[in-house]
Amino acid sequence: MQKNVLLFAPMLFFFQSALAQFEVGVTGGYVNNYLHTSAGYRAFTQYHQRSGFMAGLVLQYHFNNWLALQAEPSYIQKNYEQRRDHFFDGIYQINSNGYLQLPLMAHFSFGGEKLSGFVNTGGYAARWMTARVKGVMANVFDNAPDLPPNQQASGSFQYNLLYQYDQKYAFDSRRDRRMEFGLVAGGGVEYLLQECLRLFVEARYYYGLSDQQKNYMIDQVPRYNDTYVIQAGCLLNLGCLFGGYAE
Amino acid sequence: MKSLIHFIIPLAILATMASCRKELPQLNDPQNYVSANFNEVFDAFWTGMNNNYVFWDIDTVNWDGVYGTYKPLFAQLNVNDSNDVRKAYTYFKQMTAGLVDSHYTLTFADTWLADSAAVNPAFLRKRGSPGFHAPIDIRYFYYTLPANYLNAGQRGFTNTADGKQYVAVSGTINQNILYFFFSDFQLKTLFNTDTANGFKTVEQYFFKNLASRTDLKGIIIDVRGNKGGELEDLDFLLGKMITRPLFFGYTRSKMGNGRLDYSPWAPAYVKPQTDSKAITIPIVVLADAWSVSMAEITTMAVKALPNGHFVGERTWGANGPLTGNVFFNGGQFTTGWLTQVYTSSLMFKYKDGNIYEGKGFPPDLTVPYDSTSLNAGRDPQLEAAVSLIH
Repeated sequence: MQKNVLLFAPMLFFFQSALAQFEVGVTGGYVNNYLHTSAGYRAFTQYHQRSGFMAGLVLQYHFNNWLALQAEPSYIQKNYEQRRDHFFDGIYQINSNGYLQLPLMAHFSFGGEKLSGFVNTGGYAARWMTARVKGVMANVFDNAPDLPPNQQASGSFQYNLLYQYDQKYAFDSRRDRRMEFGLVAGGGVEYLLQECLRLFVEARYYYGLSDQQKNYMIDQVPRYNDTYVIQAGCLLNLGCLFGGYAE
Repeated sequence: MKSLIHFIIPLAILATMASCRKELPQLNDPQNYVSANFNEVFDAFWTGMNNNYVFWDIDTVNWDGVYGTYKPLFAQLNVNDSNDVRKAYTYFKQMTAGLVDSHYTLTFADTWLADSAAVNPAFLRKRGSPGFHAPIDIRYFYYTLPANYLNAGQRGFTNTADGKQYVAVSGTINQNILYFFFSDFQLKTLFNTDTANGFKTVEQYFFKNLASRTDLKGIIIDVRGNKGGELEDLDFLLGKMITRPLFFGYTRSKMGNGRLDYSPWAPAYVKPQTDSKAITIPIVVLADAWSVSMAEITTMAVKALPNGHFVGERTWGANGPLTGNVFFNGGQFTTGWLTQVYTSSLMFKYKDGNIYEGKGFPPDLTVPYDSTSLNAGRDPQLEAAVSLIH
């Protein structure tokens, strides 16, 4: 028995000191996604950014007091909208896309002990999990009432009535690339609230490097996500929590 | 200083990798290419098809393969050499030969091709297929059929300023079957014209009998040889025979420039008209291999009725509706060298989930074209429709 205690004591000590370097937490925030693409020569048609949200876990491993490795498995929405204007005003489609995302970042800290700043840089991988489309289009088989002879049409819906839809998007395996890779950079401030607990706010930018479409046609117009996030969260030091020790 | 280096290195890596995105290609409107050489002529056409053609989802033509094969061939041609222009015409024919869109028609602006026929792949395919036959002569509908089958009725035609002729015939068969033939879908436009015309007179006869007669046993709508026309005629004609919206299929259009960028499927309905009544007696549509576009869509809508039947032959196979390119961001377009690339603006899917583009819509009761009988004044397709009612 005594032999066993002697054997496990160094391991316990090692485990506790390794634990002290780990911090875990949760985060969530507001997302604004912009689709970097082109409508080409499509008439009166533009792409616009849309809002969304994200939520995830934060895992930090500290090498020293200014450098840590951070992983952040999370759910994030990367939404966008296509809209038409002028005569076609009122025609639009909102694409709501849900991703499971894993950013892996170097976390650089600077500043005081209580209040400090930080910068995150790294890359991410994401899996396009869900998609929904909601919008309005003119229905060619739904004729609008005839205009009186002395009037003129001011919009598309005076020819064909609108068709509203809100439905699950059907992924097309010939076209849709559901894995996304990219770069991430962010910065923020963190505040040591208690011995074990830190709060942070961060502004972050995800720069998609992979086209959302497989390379299936010549002159394909690529689509990349540019995602801006304002997020907040908290981090708990595991060593402090389980071993009563904070590094 | 050391920590500053730690910031700079990853940021430099990020900045380097940020250039890994593909560039957005510049897509030009096909009509803006200058047709000064065949490189431009080819690019204008290929780009227009690449982005505007609505059938890439179901079409089997390898459009990237067409690019690889024909771009170098066009590059060797001289736009100012009549022999090369003829060669280009042949290339256009070859490139489009397999396209599923059965509306598809190329017309050429080059004066050296003024005498050349428009390129219509569906027609070229059908012309070479077994069972191909010419359309029934319009004079049969105007003279022979009324004389041999109609008890009473009206027939008439209208010539419009654009050089087109619209023919219509209506009457009763066996006293209580209301029959209506029309050569094109211009029903609403010609009905609403201020001036009297022969086509309108026939329409008035048909709609008056439809609304007032209570002793009818059935209705026959004859769209054999009908070339199609206005979409609004669907409600104008069939909307008078229903009192509740009739669901019969779906349409979808292009959303983006990608070949597979589609809108969702929008349901297609026939909407009842204000003066409509629910027709419960059999409605039989007669259609044949020369029933095109709106004639096919009308046939599909009739077949979707609980009392609807379709007698005749498989239709032409051009089901996609047409509007201006700007309305649904796809479909027909022009280039400097092509007067028009006539192609559907939307894709149509019937309520059974099938897309009949390029295939044609099949009848419930197949009665093939029979030239011998028609020449003798007998019409087996019409007789089959009548026997279905009685």
